[in-house]
Amino acid sequence: MSTLRLRGDLPERVDLLNITPLALSGLSEAEAGRLAIGTSRRGLTLGDAFEIKLDGSDSLVIEGGSSRLDRVGAALSQGSIRVEGDVGQRLGEGMAAGTLTVTGSAGPYAATGATGGTITVEGDAGDHAGGAVYAAKAGLDGATLIIKGAAGDSLGDRMRKGMILAGSAGAHAGSRMIAGTIVVSGALGDHPGYGMRRGTLIAGGHGALLPTFVETGTPDLVFVRLLAQSLKRLGAAQADLLGGTLRRYSGDLATLGKGELFVPA
Amino acid sequence: MAAWVKGGAADVDAAVEAAVDLLAASRVPVLAGLSAEVSALRAAYRLAETLGASLDPVSGPSLYAELGALSVGGAMTTTRAETVGRADVVLILGNRPWDGDLIPEIAAATPSRGRAAGAERSLLSLGGPQNGATRHVAYAAEAGGLAVSLGHLRAFAKGHLAGEAAYADLARRLFAAQYGVVVYDPEEVGERGVEMLQGLIRDLNESTRFFALALADPFQGRAAVQLSAWTTGQAPRVGFGRYQPEHDPWRFDSARQIASGEADAALWLASLPAPRPDWLGRLPTVAIVGEGSPEAAGETAEIVITVGVPGQSVGGALWNERRGVIAYTEPKAATDAQTAAGVLARIRDRLIEKGVSC
Repeated sequence: MSTLRLRGDLPERVDLLNITPLALSGLSEAEAGRLAIGTSRRGLTLGDAFEIKLDGSDSLVIEGGSSRLDRVGAALSQGSIRVEGDVGQRLGEGMAAGTLTVTGSAGPYAATGATGGTITVEGDAGDHAGGAVYAAKAGLDGATLIIKGAAGDSLGDRMRKGMILAGSAGAHAGSRMIAGTIVVSGALGDHPGYGMRRGTLIAGGHGALLPTFVETGTPDLVFVRLLAQSLKRLGAAQADLLGGTLRRYSGDLATLGKGELFVPA
Repeated sequence: MAAWVKGGAADVDAAVEAAVDLLAASRVPVLAGLSAEVSALRAAYRLAETLGASLDPVSGPSLYAELGALSVGGAMTTTRAETVGRADVVLILGNRPWDGDLIPEIAAATPSRGRAAGAERSLLSLGGPQNGATRHVAYAAEAGGLAVSLGHLRAFAKGHLAGEAAYADLARRLFAAQYGVVVYDPEEVGERGVEMLQGLIRDLNESTRFFALALADPFQGRAAVQLSAWTTGQAPRVGFGRYQPEHDPWRFDSARQIASGEADAALWLASLPAPRPDWLGRLPTVAIVGEGSPEAAGETAEIVITVGVPGQSVGGALWNERRGVIAYTEPKAATDAQTAAGVLARIRDRLIEKGVSC
C-alpha cells in the first residue's frame, strides 16, 4: 500500500489526474515527488504537497484531505485509492474501473463521466454529483456512485448509465437524465427529474413535484425486487426503501417522458 | 487621468509600478469585471497569459446560462432586426425583456417581409409583469418559475399533456405562427430553462419557423465571449496557471475563488459601468475604472487607475445589441484620456521586464 501524506494546507488547487497507483508503480519516490500537480505558475509538485511512500502496489492511500484536491482518481483504470479526508471537484472523473473511497466530503461533479468501478463518498457530496460538466454529453456513465451523506443540487444531472445511491439530495435530482438509476434513502429537493428522458429515481420523499410528472399507480414490479437484491449486495441502506409499496410517477413529459420516479406509497 | 495607491493620490507611473508589484507577488491572481471595450479585453487576456491568471467577466451568470445550453444542444437564434421585420408571433418570457426599448419597438411594427409579411403581430407573454401599456396576451408562470413553466408548456406542445389548460392554448398559438420568436433574458430563465426553451423551439420547427432572441447582458459579455473564443478557443472563464488556456466555469468563477480564499489578488477591469463586487475593498486589488465613475476614488481598492470611458471620452469597439455585433463606437467628447488597453499593456510590459513572464 502506497501512501501520500498531506504536509499541510494547500496553497492552491491541485490536480491529481495523473496520480494513480498504476502511474506511480513505475516511479521511485524521488521521481514521483517531481510530478507537477499545481495549477498556478509556482510549479507545485507532488513532493511539495505530500510525504510520499511507494511500494509499487495497486492501492494508494491519501492521508489528509482538502477541498482543493481536484480530480482525485480521475481516469483510474485499476486498483484502489482511499482518501482519508475531503476532496475537491471532479472526484473520479472519467474513471474506468477500480475502487475509489473518500472518508470525508467531495466537491462538485463527483464521478462525472465515470464509466466503471465504484466511487464511495462517506460524507456529503457537492452539487452535480454524477452530473455532467460544462459541454459534456453525459454525467455518470456506467460507474457506481455511493454517497453516504447528503448530495447537493443536480444529483445525476445528464447521467447516462450506472447507479447512484445517496442519503438525501438537493433540488433537481436526476435532471436531464438520459438513463440510469438513482436511489436516495431520504428526501429529494424540489423539482426532481427536470427534463429527464429515461431513467429511474427512487426516493424516500420529495419536494415540489413538476407539473410534467403524472402518477401512474402503485405497480408491483419485478425490476424493483431485483434492484433490492443488488442493493443488498452493495450493503446499501437504500435497499429498505424498496421493501414496501411504491407509488410511481412518469415523466418528464416535457421531453421523452420515459423516466420514472418512485416514492413510498 | 487619476490614480491612487493605498488611498493616496499617485501619478499613473507609480500606480502601474505598484500594480506590477501586487500582481507579481500573487500566486493565484484573478482578472474580473471585464466590462470594457474589445481592445481592453484583448489586453486583459494577454496580461492573464503572461501572469498565469484566470479571467471571469461580471456577466458570467448570464453568459453561462446561454453557453451551457448551447454547448450541449445548440440553439436556433435570430436577431432583433429579423424579429421586428418578420415575426408574426412574439413570446416574451419573464420580466426583464420589458425593461428596455425592444418590446415597444416590436409592438409598434407589423411583419414587413418574409412569409408573415402583412399579417398582424401577436404579442404573448409568459410570467411577465402584465404591462398594460403594450397590448398582449399574458400567461402566468408556474409557482416553480420560468424553467418549470417552459417544461409544462413544452409537454402541451408535444401533445404529452392535453386538456383546456392555459398552456394548451399558448401552445396552439405558438404552432399557429408563421415566424415566431421567443424573447428572453438567459440569466432570468436559467441554464436548464434555456435548454428546455431550445427544445421547445426545435419542436415548433417541426411544423413552422421559430427562433430565440436572447437579450445580451449589459456588461460587454457577448464581446468577451467572442474575444475569448478567437483568443483561447474557449468560453470566457479560462485560466492560464498551467500556460495552456484551461476552461472551467466552476474553478474560474471569480466570486467562488475569492470567497474560498483561493485567489490572493485581483485586477478589476471596468472602464464601462459594472456592479461593484463586495470583495473590492478586501482583497488586494488593482481597479481599472472609468473616469467619473463612482469607483474612481482612492478607497475603491488598493490601487486605482482611471481610464477613458469607451463611447464617451475615448473610442472603442463595443457590443452593439441592436445589430448583434461588435462595432466601433466614436467618443461623444474625445479627450486625451489613457485607455484601459494602454494601462493593461504597460502593466504587462513591466511584468515581462521584471521576468514574471512565461
